Amino acid sequence: MLIGRDIMDQQVVDARGRLMGKVDGVVLELHEGEAAHLAGIVIGGTTLLWRLHRGLARWAERKLGGEGRITYVPWSKVGKVGVDIKVDVEAPRTPAFRWEHWVRDHFIGRIPGA
Amino acid sequence: MSKFLEIALGIVTGIGGFLEAGSLATAAQAGSEFGYQLIWAIAVGTACIAVLVEMAGRLAAVSRHTLPDAMRERFGIGFFLIPLAAVALVSFLVLSSEIGGVTLALEFATGVSHRWWAIPAALAIWLLLWKGTFGMVEKGTSMLGLVTLAFVVAALKLHPDAAGVAAGLVPRAPTHDGARYWFIAVSIVGASVSPYLFYFYSAGAVEDQWDEGYLTINRITAGVGMTFGGTVAVAALVCAALVLHPAGIQVDRYEQIPFLLTSPLARAGFWLFVAALFIACFGAALEIALQLAYLVAQGFGWRWGENLRPRDAARFSAIYTVALPLAALVIASGIDPLRLTVMSMAMTALSLPVTVVPLLVLMNDPQYLDEHTNGWVSNAAVLAVSVIACVVALVALPLQVFGS
Amino acid sequence: MSRGPAVRLERLLGRLVVDHLGVPAGRIEDVVTEPDGEAYRVTHVILGPEGRVARLFAFGYQLPTFRALGLGRKPRTRRLPWTWLDLGDPEHPRLRPEVA
Repeated sequence: MLIGRDIMDQQVVDARGRLMGKVDGVVLELHEGEAAHLAGIVIGGTTLLWRLHRGLARWAERKLGGEGRITYVPWSKVGKVGVDIKVDVEAPRTPAFRWEHWVRDHFIGRIPGA
Repeated sequence: MSKFLEIALGIVTGIGGFLEAGSLATAAQAGSEFGYQLIWAIAVGTACIAVLVEMAGRLAAVSRHTLPDAMRERFGIGFFLIPLAAVALVSFLVLSSEIGGVTLALEFATGVSHRWWAIPAALAIWLLLWKGTFGMVEKGTSMLGLVTLAFVVAALKLHPDAAGVAAGLVPRAPTHDGARYWFIAVSIVGASVSPYLFYFYSAGAVEDQWDEGYLTINRITAGVGMTFGGTVAVAALVCAALVLHPAGIQVDRYEQIPFLLTSPLARAGFWLFVAALFIACFGAALEIALQLAYLVAQGFGWRWGENLRPRDAARFSAIYTVALPLAALVIASGIDPLRLTVMSMAMTALSLPVTVVPLLVLMNDPQYLDEHTNGWVSNAAVLAVSVIACVVALVALPLQVFGS
Repeated sequence: MSRGPAVRLERLLGRLVVDHLGVPAGRIEDVVTEPDGEAYRVTHVILGPEGRVARLFAFGYQLPTFRALGLGRKPRTRRLPWTWLDLGDPEHPRLRPEVA
């Protein structure tokens, strides 16, 4: 399995089939002199910025004082990797839905008929 | 739904959904200025979009991915942002043009300036997306869109010379006004090969949960539907060629376009024109606004779906909720809708390589298409049209802008 | 989060890898993993061409039409064991001197 081809940018789906976002980053656990291990996937935060423009990412992290609220899913909670990546996590409980809920509560939800 | 019914609906969608502000404006200008000489451009554009729509459907059915989803996955966020930006920008311009078309229809009907209708029109479009389902948008647009067949009726009533029309199918060099000829040719291609058409189609295929069993339906609806749709555009061109061209009237003001139907069909023609313009542009605006939301939401992995309540797909709904008033403002600001439309079509043509190549790469990747990857003919044909259209647009656009 | 030191793969992708003499060896394109029980072990790193022109041709290689027109060339990629990488400075990956 190639991480870049088969995991990065794949759609992530939570335990109840809700779309959670795309795999923005992957954490590798290093072991000196040995093969590294796939530790988990990252959604959100400044992760995408690091892939687009490092200078911008560094600036953003200085402003935010960190990499923002990322959703980290350890590989043990990752299930099937096929059309989507299914994770054994409840999306509304993670930061992945933070912006979704913010837009719902401050904008869309305020419009009648939503 | 039985397969027969699906095919029928797909074809109706192709016919009813084909004509919109861009194809009407460019067909009217082409017919009025060059008679039948540019029919080949409509044919080329129609063939190209039929092929692209079939590809988008095939991708959705086999890979179960929508186009933006597959593009982000395949190319990574960096390379995805380029076609994303191009399609979003071009779609926004075309959305403004469609709203412009709706407001013109209302101006023709009521006499009230189209600028006043921009916000109400956008509101109506928004309301339909807010409250409606995907099925409503898809079927409503296509069924009501059949009113554009009025152009076919009008064209036949004008007794076009069949040999002349057939001759127009052959690409040829212009007899006069070269720069203008190629500008319109390229705008026609841009009007036919609008990215929103195949992006929307791919989202629809996934919303309707197509699988490999739908490949034949896909081929038939794309091929037959688009071909019949292109015929409606040709009919509009023929009307312009027979009504305006002999009188030497060039379509440079939108008030001239209703003549296409009022001449052959008299008073009924006027109201048919208003209805056709309104419905065609309203339907296109619905689809483009939805498609913009699909594009961004699917590219970033957010919850999406027209059948969901807006609060259940908040970011998705926010995209069309923001895009529509912005597009309306463009029309309300007083930009000439006709000029905006034709310019948007040329810009679409200019952006074709960027919007089409990613789809082509995906269509040749067995990881997504299994054994249903593209044959070399469709690859070469689509690529050729996209690159040539882009190059011609690069030359013709500045000439048009600075020459006029 | 993890037991050993961690590195973000997305910050490694695209990075130029040089050998211990400073000679460019390629850009990190992807990593190969193999199942290791429930986990996945990173076994190899795939290095692709470092030059812009070569990378452009590699993109062209994806479309059969470009290939037929000579606008695409199969990119020279190398598959190196992961242990050859020295990630002491993740922003500047190097190849370990002993693998020269």
